[in-house]
Amino acid sequence: MSCSVRVASPLRSYTGGAATVTADGATVAELLADLERRHPGMRFRMIDEQDRIRPHIRLFVNTMAVESLDTPVRSGDTLHLICALSGG
Amino acid sequence: MALSPDERARYQRHLSLEEVGVAGQEKLKAARVLVIGAGGLGSPSALYLAASGIGTLGIVDCDRVEVSNLQRQVLFDTDDVARPKALVARERLLALNPAIEVVAHDVELRAANVREVLSGYDVILDGTDRLATRYLVNDACVLLGKPLVSAAIHRFEGQVMTYVPARGPCYRCLYADVPEGLVPNCADAGVLGVLPGLLGAVQATEAIKLVLGAGEPLVGRLLVYDALEMRFHEFAFARRKDCAVCGDQPSITEPRDPPAACDVATLARVRRITPVELHALLVSGPQLVIDVREPREFAVGHLPGAVNIPLGMLRERLGEVPAGAEPVFVCRSGGRSLRACSLALDGGLSSASNLEGGMLAWAATVNPDCVVAPA
Repeated sequence: MSCSVRVASPLRSYTGGAATVTADGATVAELLADLERRHPGMRFRMIDEQDRIRPHIRLFVNTMAVESLDTPVRSGDTLHLICALSGG
Repeated sequence: MALSPDERARYQRHLSLEEVGVAGQEKLKAARVLVIGAGGLGSPSALYLAASGIGTLGIVDCDRVEVSNLQRQVLFDTDDVARPKALVARERLLALNPAIEVVAHDVELRAANVREVLSGYDVILDGTDRLATRYLVNDACVLLGKPLVSAAIHRFEGQVMTYVPARGPCYRCLYADVPEGLVPNCADAGVLGVLPGLLGAVQATEAIKLVLGAGEPLVGRLLVYDALEMRFHEFAFARRKDCAVCGDQPSITEPRDPPAACDVATLARVRRITPVELHALLVSGPQLVIDVREPREFAVGHLPGAVNIPLGMLRERLGEVPAGAEPVFVCRSGGRSLRACSLALDGGLSSASNLEGGMLAWAATVNPDCVVAPA
Protein backbone atom coordinates (compact mmCIF):
# COMPACT_ATOMS: atom_id res chain seq x y z
CA MET A 1 0.00 0.00 0.00
CA SER A 2 1.15 3.46 -0.80
CA CYS A 3 1.79 6.14 1.80
CA SER A 4 2.93 9.72 1.69
CA VAL A 5 6.16 10.49 3.47
CA ARG A 6 6.84 14.03 4.63
CA VAL A 7 10.55 14.64 4.88
CA ALA A 8 12.20 16.81 7.52
CA SER A 9 14.18 19.71 6.18
CA PRO A 10 17.63 18.28 7.09
CA LEU A 11 16.83 15.00 5.27
CA ARG A 12 15.71 16.52 2.00
CA SER A 13 19.17 16.23 0.52
CA TYR A 14 18.26 12.56 0.00
CA THR A 15 15.02 13.32 -1.85
CA GLY A 16 16.36 15.90 -4.25
CA GLY A 17 14.82 18.62 -2.12
CA ALA A 18 11.32 17.12 -2.20
CA ALA A 19 9.27 17.73 0.95
CA THR A 20 6.88 14.88 0.22
CA VAL A 21 7.64 11.54 -1.41
CA THR A 22 5.78 8.23 -1.59
CA ALA A 23 6.70 4.81 -0.28
CA ASP A 24 5.07 1.37 -0.26
CA GLY A 25 4.72 -0.97 2.69
CA ALA A 26 2.42 -2.36 5.35
CA THR A 27 4.54 -1.29 8.33
CA VAL A 28 6.84 1.60 9.15
CA ALA A 29 9.80 -0.76 8.71
CA GLU A 30 8.64 -1.63 5.19
CA LEU A 31 8.11 2.01 4.31
CA LEU A 32 11.64 2.80 5.48
CA ALA A 33 13.03 -0.11 3.46
CA ASP A 34 11.23 1.18 0.39
CA LEU A 35 12.49 4.69 1.06
CA GLU A 36 16.03 3.31 1.20
CA ARG A 37 15.55 1.70 -2.21
CA ARG A 38 14.27 4.95 -3.68
CA HIS A 39 16.62 7.27 -1.79
CA PRO A 40 19.81 5.36 -0.92
CA GLY A 41 21.44 6.30 2.37
CA MET A 42 18.33 7.90 3.84
CA ARG A 43 17.36 5.09 6.22
CA PHE A 44 20.71 5.01 7.98
CA ARG A 45 20.36 8.68 8.82
CA MET A 46 17.25 7.76 10.84
CA ILE A 47 17.78 4.15 11.96
CA ASP A 48 20.94 2.76 13.56
CA GLU A 49 22.66 -0.60 13.12
CA GLN A 50 20.43 -2.15 15.78
CA ASP A 51 17.24 -1.02 14.00
CA ARG A 52 16.57 1.66 16.59
CA ILE A 53 15.26 5.08 15.71
CA ARG A 54 18.16 7.47 16.25
CA PRO A 55 17.71 9.74 19.28
CA HIS A 56 17.51 12.96 17.26
CA ILE A 57 14.85 11.55 14.92
CA ARG A 58 11.12 11.08 15.59
CA LEU A 59 8.71 9.29 13.31
CA PHE A 60 4.98 9.87 13.33
CA VAL A 61 2.19 8.09 11.46
CA ASN A 62 -0.29 10.85 10.84
CA THR A 63 -0.13 12.60 14.25
CA MET A 64 0.87 9.65 16.46
CA ALA A 65 4.41 8.90 17.57
CA VAL A 66 6.00 5.71 16.26
CA GLU A 67 7.60 3.71 19.06
CA SER A 68 8.11 0.49 17.09
CA LEU A 69 9.13 0.01 13.48
CA ASP A 70 6.52 -2.76 13.35
CA THR A 71 3.77 -0.15 13.58
CA PRO A 72 1.25 -0.96 10.81
CA VAL A 73 0.28 1.64 8.23
CA ARG A 74 -2.70 1.85 5.95
CA SER A 75 -2.94 3.15 2.43
CA GLY A 76 -3.31 6.91 2.57
CA ASP A 77 -1.48 7.31 5.88
CA THR A 78 1.29 9.85 6.07
CA LEU A 79 4.62 8.99 7.64
CA HIS A 80 6.33 12.11 9.00
CA LEU A 81 10.10 12.08 9.37
CA ILE A 82 11.01 14.67 12.00
CA CYS A 83 14.55 15.67 12.85
CA ALA A 84 15.86 17.81 15.72
CA LEU A 85 16.82 21.30 14.58
CA SER A 86 19.51 23.41 16.16
CA GLY A 87 19.10 26.88 14.66
CA GLY A 88 17.97 29.85 16.67
CA MET B 1 0.93 44.74 41.12
CA ALA B 2 -1.45 47.62 40.26
CA LEU B 3 -1.35 49.34 36.87
CA SER B 4 -0.57 53.03 36.57
CA PRO B 5 -2.76 55.31 34.41
CA ASP B 6 -0.05 55.29 31.72
CA GLU B 7 -0.03 51.51 31.75
CA ARG B 8 -3.80 51.34 31.48
CA ALA B 9 -3.54 53.50 28.37
CA ARG B 10 -0.67 51.50 26.88
CA TYR B 11 -2.28 48.11 27.39
CA GLN B 12 -5.85 49.18 26.60
CA ARG B 13 -6.25 46.51 23.86
CA HIS B 14 -5.24 43.84 26.36
CA LEU B 15 -7.59 45.21 28.98
CA SER B 16 -10.44 44.81 26.49
CA LEU B 17 -9.79 41.08 26.26
CA GLU B 18 -11.78 39.08 28.74
CA GLU B 19 -8.92 36.55 28.91
CA VAL B 20 -6.45 39.26 29.96
CA GLY B 21 -8.21 42.25 31.51
CA VAL B 22 -6.76 44.25 34.39
CA ALA B 23 -6.04 41.16 36.46
CA GLY B 24 -4.20 39.49 33.60
CA GLN B 25 -2.21 42.60 32.77
CA GLU B 26 -1.17 42.82 36.41
CA LYS B 27 0.02 39.21 36.18
CA LEU B 28 2.09 40.13 33.12
CA LYS B 29 3.55 43.09 35.01
CA ALA B 30 4.53 40.84 37.90
CA ALA B 31 5.97 38.15 35.59
CA ARG B 32 9.65 37.48 35.01
CA VAL B 33 10.47 35.90 31.66
CA LEU B 34 13.93 34.89 30.43
CA VAL B 35 14.81 34.82 26.73
CA ILE B 36 17.86 32.69 26.01
CA GLY B 37 19.55 33.73 22.79
CA ALA B 38 19.02 37.19 21.32
CA GLY B 39 19.00 35.78 17.80
CA GLY B 40 16.40 35.08 15.18
CA LEU B 41 13.96 33.60 17.70
CA GLY B 42 14.84 35.78 20.68
CA SER B 43 14.46 39.02 18.74
CA PRO B 44 10.73 38.80 17.99
CA SER B 45 9.87 37.04 21.24
CA ALA B 46 11.63 39.68 23.33
CA LEU B 47 10.08 42.54 21.37
CA TYR B 48 6.56 41.17 21.81
CA LEU B 49 7.09 40.31 25.45
CA ALA B 50 8.36 43.82 26.13
CA ALA B 51 5.48 45.38 24.22
CA SER B 52 3.03 43.15 26.08
CA GLY B 53 4.18 44.49 29.42
CA ILE B 54 6.12 41.57 30.92
CA GLY B 55 7.44 43.29 34.02
CA THR B 56 10.91 41.75 34.10
CA LEU B 57 12.52 40.50 30.93
CA GLY B 58 15.94 38.82 30.97
CA ILE B 59 18.06 38.43 27.85
CA VAL B 60 20.92 35.92 27.75
CA ASP B 61 23.49 36.22 24.99
CA CYS B 62 27.26 36.52 25.03
CA ASP B 63 27.72 37.22 21.33
CA ARG B 64 28.15 40.48 19.47
CA VAL B 65 25.99 41.66 16.61
CA GLU B 66 27.29 40.59 13.21
CA VAL B 67 26.19 42.04 9.90
CA SER B 68 24.87 38.63 8.79
CA ASN B 69 22.50 38.65 11.81
CA LEU B 70 20.53 41.64 10.51
CA GLN B 71 18.64 39.56 7.90
CA ARG B 72 16.49 38.08 10.70
CA GLN B 73 17.47 39.43 14.13
CA VAL B 74 15.12 42.39 14.25
CA LEU B 75 16.28 43.62 17.64
CA PHE B 76 19.35 45.12 16.02
CA ASP B 77 20.11 48.00 13.66
CA THR B 78 22.95 48.28 11.22
CA ASP B 79 24.78 50.64 13.57
CA ASP B 80 24.75 47.95 16.28
CA VAL B 81 27.23 45.70 14.47
CA ALA B 82 30.07 44.62 16.79
CA ARG B 83 28.17 45.68 19.94
CA PRO B 84 27.20 43.12 22.64
CA LYS B 85 23.80 41.67 21.82
CA ALA B 86 22.47 41.51 25.37
CA LEU B 87 23.23 45.19 25.99
CA VAL B 88 21.85 46.36 22.65
CA ALA B 89 18.73 44.29 23.24
CA ARG B 90 18.23 45.94 26.61
CA GLU B 91 18.45 49.42 25.07
CA ARG B 92 16.03 48.53 22.30
CA LEU B 93 13.48 46.89 24.58
CA LEU B 94 13.55 49.75 27.08
CA ALA B 95 13.08 52.21 24.23
CA LEU B 96 10.02 50.22 23.22
CA ASN B 97 8.66 50.02 26.76
CA PRO B 98 10.35 52.10 29.49
CA ALA B 99 7.86 50.82 32.06
CA ILE B 100 9.45 47.37 32.24
CA GLU B 101 12.74 46.15 33.64
CA VAL B 102 15.19 44.47 31.27
CA VAL B 103 18.15 42.50 32.60
CA ALA B 104 21.05 41.88 30.20
CA HIS B 105 22.90 38.63 30.91
CA ASP B 106 26.03 39.00 28.78
CA VAL B 107 27.21 35.51 29.70
CA GLU B 108 27.55 32.07 28.23
CA LEU B 109 25.23 29.64 29.98
CA ARG B 110 27.17 26.81 31.58
CA ALA B 111 26.45 24.21 34.21
CA ALA B 112 28.16 26.50 36.71
CA ASN B 113 25.82 29.47 36.21
CA VAL B 114 22.60 28.12 34.72
CA ARG B 115 20.81 27.64 38.04
CA GLU B 116 21.71 31.15 39.17
CA VAL B 117 20.58 32.79 35.92
CA LEU B 118 17.33 30.82 35.54
CA SER B 119 16.29 30.92 39.18
CA GLY B 120 15.18 34.55 38.95
CA TYR B 121 12.54 33.87 36.29
CA ASP B 122 9.09 32.28 36.04
CA VAL B 123 9.11 31.21 32.39
CA ILE B 124 12.08 30.39 30.15
CA LEU B 125 12.20 30.79 26.34
CA ASP B 126 14.93 28.87 24.56
CA GLY B 127 15.99 30.26 21.21
CA THR B 128 19.63 29.31 21.33
CA ASP B 129 21.53 28.11 18.28
CA ARG B 130 23.66 25.68 20.27
CA LEU B 131 22.47 22.15 20.87
CA ALA B 132 24.53 21.80 24.02
CA THR B 133 22.85 24.89 25.50
CA ARG B 134 19.45 23.55 24.44
CA TYR B 135 19.93 20.45 26.58
CA LEU B 136 21.54 22.38 29.43
CA VAL B 137 18.52 24.71 29.56
CA ASN B 138 16.01 21.84 29.32
CA ASP B 139 17.71 19.94 32.11
CA ALA B 140 17.93 23.03 34.30
CA CYS B 141 14.24 23.81 33.74
CA VAL B 142 13.25 20.26 34.71
CA LEU B 143 15.47 20.33 37.80
CA LEU B 144 14.30 23.81 38.83
CA GLY B 145 10.65 23.17 37.96
CA LYS B 146 10.46 26.03 35.42
CA PRO B 147 8.19 26.09 32.36
CA LEU B 148 10.16 26.13 29.11
CA VAL B 149 9.14 27.11 25.60
CA SER B 150 11.69 25.66 23.21
CA ALA B 151 11.94 26.48 19.52
CA ALA B 152 14.42 25.78 16.72
CA ILE B 153 14.70 26.60 13.04
CA HIS B 154 16.40 25.28 9.93
CA ARG B 155 16.17 26.65 6.39
CA PHE B 156 12.36 26.92 5.90
CA GLU B 157 11.27 24.73 8.85
CA GLY B 158 10.61 25.52 12.47
CA GLN B 159 9.63 23.52 15.53
CA VAL B 160 8.26 24.61 18.89
CA MET B 161 7.13 22.81 22.04
CA THR B 162 6.34 23.76 25.63
CA TYR B 163 7.37 21.98 28.79
CA VAL B 164 5.36 22.52 31.95
CA PRO B 165 6.64 20.73 35.07
CA ALA B 166 4.52 17.74 36.09
CA ARG B 167 2.19 18.26 33.14
CA GLY B 168 4.03 16.69 30.22
CA PRO B 169 7.18 15.69 28.41
CA CYS B 170 10.42 17.68 28.26
CA TYR B 171 12.73 18.31 25.30
CA ARG B 172 14.74 15.18 26.11
CA CYS B 173 11.52 13.15 25.90
CA LEU B 174 11.21 14.40 22.33
CA TYR B 175 14.86 14.04 21.33
CA ALA B 176 16.76 11.96 23.86
CA ASP B 177 20.09 13.11 22.52
CA VAL B 178 21.40 14.93 19.51
CA PRO B 179 24.94 14.07 18.57
CA GLU B 180 26.81 17.26 17.73
CA GLY B 181 27.55 17.47 14.03
CA LEU B 182 24.51 15.48 12.90
CA VAL B 183 22.21 18.48 12.88
CA PRO B 184 23.26 21.44 10.78
CA ASN B 185 22.91 24.95 12.18
CA CYS B 186 21.74 28.11 10.44
CA ALA B 187 25.27 29.22 9.67
CA ASP B 188 25.88 26.03 7.72
CA ALA B 189 22.46 25.45 6.17
CA GLY B 190 20.94 28.93 5.86
CA VAL B 191 17.60 30.14 7.12
CA LEU B 192 14.79 32.21 5.68
CA GLY B 193 14.97 35.54 7.50
CA VAL B 194 11.29 35.79 8.32
CA LEU B 195 11.04 32.18 9.58
CA PRO B 196 12.16 32.83 13.18
CA GLY B 197 9.80 35.79 13.30
CA LEU B 198 6.85 33.43 13.27
CA LEU B 199 8.37 30.87 15.64
CA GLY B 200 9.55 33.55 18.07
CA ALA B 201 6.06 35.02 18.11
CA VAL B 202 4.66 31.58 18.94
CA GLN B 203 7.12 31.35 21.83
CA ALA B 204 6.05 34.75 23.16
CA THR B 205 2.41 33.71 22.84
CA GLU B 206 3.06 30.57 24.84
CA ALA B 207 4.91 32.53 27.54
CA ILE B 208 2.06 35.03 27.87
CA LYS B 209 -0.51 32.23 28.05
CA LEU B 210 1.51 30.48 30.74
CA VAL B 211 1.68 33.69 32.79
CA LEU B 212 -2.03 34.32 32.35
CA GLY B 213 -3.00 30.70 32.88
CA ALA B 214 -5.09 31.01 29.74
CA GLY B 215 -5.67 28.60 26.88
CA GLU B 216 -3.85 25.39 26.08
CA PRO B 217 -0.07 25.37 25.94
CA LEU B 218 1.88 23.16 23.51
CA VAL B 219 2.43 20.53 26.18
CA GLY B 220 3.03 17.10 24.70
CA ARG B 221 2.58 18.59 21.26
CA LEU B 222 5.29 19.37 18.75
CA LEU B 223 4.30 22.10 16.34
CA VAL B 224 6.15 21.95 13.03
CA TYR B 225 5.96 24.78 10.53
CA ASP B 226 6.95 24.47 6.88
CA ALA B 227 7.24 27.95 5.40
CA LEU B 228 7.71 26.81 1.81
CA GLU B 229 4.46 24.86 1.81
CA MET B 230 2.85 27.17 4.39
CA ARG B 231 1.68 24.25 6.46
CA PHE B 232 1.55 23.62 10.19
CA HIS B 233 1.68 20.07 11.53
CA GLU B 234 1.11 19.01 15.09
CA PHE B 235 2.38 15.78 16.62
CA ALA B 236 1.58 14.20 19.96
CA PHE B 237 4.44 12.88 22.08
CA ALA B 238 4.54 11.63 25.64
CA ARG B 239 6.84 11.79 28.64
CA ARG B 240 9.33 8.94 28.52
CA LYS B 241 9.65 6.92 31.69
CA ASP B 242 13.31 6.41 30.81
CA CYS B 243 14.02 10.09 30.12
CA ALA B 244 17.47 10.87 31.52
CA VAL B 245 16.24 14.01 33.29
CA CYS B 246 12.46 13.84 33.85
CA GLY B 247 12.06 10.04 33.81
CA ASP B 248 11.33 7.72 36.70
CA GLN B 249 15.01 7.06 37.41
CA PRO B 250 16.84 10.12 36.11
CA SER B 251 20.60 9.93 35.68
CA ILE B 252 20.87 13.71 35.29
CA THR B 253 20.33 15.24 38.71
CA GLU B 254 22.43 18.37 38.24
CA PRO B 255 22.88 20.60 35.18
CA ARG B 256 26.02 19.52 33.43
CA ASP B 257 28.13 20.75 30.59
CA PRO B 258 28.10 18.46 27.57
CA PRO B 259 30.95 16.08 27.04
CA ALA B 260 33.63 17.61 24.91
CA ALA B 261 33.30 16.66 21.31
CA CYS B 262 35.47 13.65 20.61
CA ASP B 263 38.51 14.98 18.84
CA VAL B 264 40.55 12.86 16.49
CA ALA B 265 43.69 12.96 18.65
CA THR B 266 41.78 11.69 21.68
CA LEU B 267 40.00 8.98 19.71
CA ALA B 268 43.36 7.76 18.44
CA ARG B 269 44.36 7.04 22.07
CA VAL B 270 41.32 4.82 22.69
CA ARG B 271 42.23 1.13 22.75
CA ARG B 272 39.74 -0.98 20.85
CA ILE B 273 39.17 -4.47 22.16
CA THR B 274 36.98 -7.24 20.86
CA PRO B 275 34.65 -9.32 23.04
CA VAL B 276 37.06 -12.26 22.75
CA GLU B 277 39.98 -10.11 23.92
CA LEU B 278 37.91 -8.77 26.84
CA HIS B 279 36.96 -12.32 27.80
CA ALA B 280 40.63 -13.26 27.90
CA LEU B 281 41.36 -10.21 30.08
CA LEU B 282 38.58 -11.12 32.53
CA VAL B 283 39.79 -14.70 32.78
CA SER B 284 43.40 -13.67 33.37
CA GLY B 285 42.69 -11.52 36.45
CA PRO B 286 40.87 -8.52 37.91
CA GLN B 287 39.81 -6.00 35.29
CA LEU B 288 37.85 -2.81 35.87
CA VAL B 289 34.83 -2.74 33.54
CA ILE B 290 32.69 0.40 33.53
CA ASP B 291 29.25 0.01 31.98
CA VAL B 292 28.01 3.44 30.86
CA ARG B 293 24.43 2.46 30.04
CA GLU B 294 21.41 3.74 31.93
CA PRO B 295 20.67 1.89 35.23
CA ARG B 296 17.59 0.16 33.85
CA GLU B 297 19.65 -1.29 31.00
CA PHE B 298 22.38 -2.34 33.40
CA ALA B 299 19.83 -4.04 35.68
CA VAL B 300 18.64 -6.32 32.89
CA GLY B 301 22.06 -7.86 32.38
CA HIS B 302 25.73 -6.89 32.60
CA LEU B 303 29.24 -8.30 32.72
CA PRO B 304 30.27 -9.89 36.02
CA GLY B 305 31.85 -7.30 38.31
CA ALA B 306 31.03 -4.38 36.00
CA VAL B 307 30.53 -0.97 37.63
CA ASN B 308 27.59 1.11 36.36
CA ILE B 309 28.33 4.77 35.71
CA PRO B 310 25.84 6.17 33.16
CA LEU B 311 27.51 8.24 30.48
CA GLY B 312 25.69 11.33 31.67
CA MET B 313 27.34 11.09 35.08
CA LEU B 314 30.79 9.96 34.04
CA ARG B 315 32.40 13.38 34.12
CA GLU B 316 31.35 13.96 37.74
CA ARG B 317 32.20 10.42 38.83
CA LEU B 318 35.52 10.02 37.08
CA GLY B 319 37.22 10.44 40.47
CA GLU B 320 35.86 7.02 41.46
CA VAL B 321 38.25 5.38 39.01
CA PRO B 322 41.36 4.33 40.97
CA ALA B 323 44.61 5.95 39.93
CA GLY B 324 46.48 3.81 37.46
CA ALA B 325 43.41 1.76 36.55
CA GLU B 326 42.98 0.89 32.91
CA PRO B 327 39.21 0.55 32.58
CA VAL B 328 37.30 -1.05 29.76
CA PHE B 329 34.16 0.92 28.93
CA VAL B 330 31.13 -0.93 27.66
CA CYS B 331 27.62 -0.03 26.53
CA ARG B 332 25.00 -1.66 24.35
CA SER B 333 26.59 -1.29 20.95
CA GLY B 334 29.83 0.60 21.44
CA GLY B 335 28.85 4.20 20.70
CA ARG B 336 28.31 5.56 24.19
CA SER B 337 31.35 3.72 25.49
CA LEU B 338 33.51 5.32 22.82
CA ARG B 339 32.38 8.75 24.03
CA ALA B 340 33.08 7.59 27.56
CA CYS B 341 36.63 6.65 26.59
CA SER B 342 37.12 10.09 25.09
CA LEU B 343 35.76 11.74 28.25
CA ALA B 344 37.95 9.57 30.46
CA LEU B 345 41.11 10.36 28.53
CA ASP B 346 40.28 14.06 28.49
CA GLY B 347 39.62 13.78 32.22
CA GLY B 348 43.15 12.57 32.89
CA LEU B 349 43.00 8.77 32.72
CA SER B 350 46.08 7.35 31.09
CA SER B 351 44.29 4.49 29.40
CA ALA B 352 40.77 3.68 28.27
CA SER B 353 39.57 0.72 26.25
CA ASN B 354 36.35 0.40 24.31
CA LEU B 355 34.48 -2.85 23.88
CA GLU B 356 33.85 -2.82 20.15
CA GLY B 357 30.23 -3.58 19.34
CA GLY B 358 29.28 -3.43 23.01
CA MET B 359 27.15 -5.96 24.86
CA LEU B 360 25.43 -6.94 21.63
CA ALA B 361 28.75 -8.14 20.23
CA TRP B 362 29.57 -9.80 23.57
CA ALA B 363 26.30 -11.74 23.44
CA ALA B 364 26.86 -12.62 19.79
CA THR B 365 30.41 -13.93 20.14
CA VAL B 366 31.18 -14.83 23.77
CA ASN B 367 28.06 -15.46 25.80
CA PRO B 368 24.76 -16.01 23.98
CA ASP B 369 23.00 -16.34 27.36
CA CYS B 370 23.75 -12.72 28.20
CA VAL B 371 20.55 -10.65 28.05
CA VAL B 372 21.05 -7.19 26.53
CA ALA B 373 18.42 -4.61 27.38
CA PRO B 374 16.93 -2.51 24.59
CA ALA B 375 18.26 1.02 24.67
